[in-house]
Amino acid sequence: MNNRLKVLRAERDWSQADLADALGVSRQTVNALETGRYDPSLPLAFRIAKVFGQPIESIFTED
Amino acid sequence: MNEFTTPKRPHGPGVTVAVLVGSLVLGGLAGAGSAFLGDQPGPAGVALTAAMISAAMAAGLAAAVWWWRGIDEAAREAHKWAWWWGGTGGMAVGAVLLLTLMMRAQDVPVPSGFGSRAADIFVSGMMSILLFQLAGYTLAWAGWWLKHR
Repeated sequence: MNNRLKVLRAERDWSQADLADALGVSRQTVNALETGRYDPSLPLAFRIAKVFGQPIESIFTED
Repeated sequence: MNEFTTPKRPHGPGVTVAVLVGSLVLGGLAGAGSAFLGDQPGPAGVALTAAMISAAMAAGLAAAVWWWRGIDEAAREAHKWAWWWGGTGGMAVGAVLLLTLMMRAQDVPVPSGFGSRAADIFVSGMMSILLFQLAGYTLAWAGWWLKHR
């Protein structure tokens, strides 16, 4: 699964630690999400969408 | 989404070290306690040893629940993956050793560290399974994070 997490984070000038705090996950998990090596659960995907104020489908796309 | 599955702030490295040190201290206390209190003749010694080990295990399980609630979903996934693949792989390796030792011909000697009686060899084999499982778990956990970083 592809995602725009890194772009969205950069647009807001947030660090990985900032995003991790907002999501309630570790910085390592944010890194794994951004590199596409870990796909989030549905609850976490909803939290990500809420944090960025965008629908899930605009953040995550199929390969 | 509920509070059980969503930690507000995941445990950091400091908490990890504290849990490891705490576990070592707890295990040491339980071992010392069972050595001193359990060193009595008859059923009282056995009962005290069982009580000390039970208390340590209960405290360990409580710590595990607290720990699990404080890590995020990726960290949980790493542990679940490591439990299955590392633990199963380690068990398979240890089982080869245990079964080989137990099924050998009686005239074939075993390394002295394994003991000489069948019961001693069996216990040594079981302990080796636990050690291989622990090693497999650790390797699988590290491998999961290396793959997902």
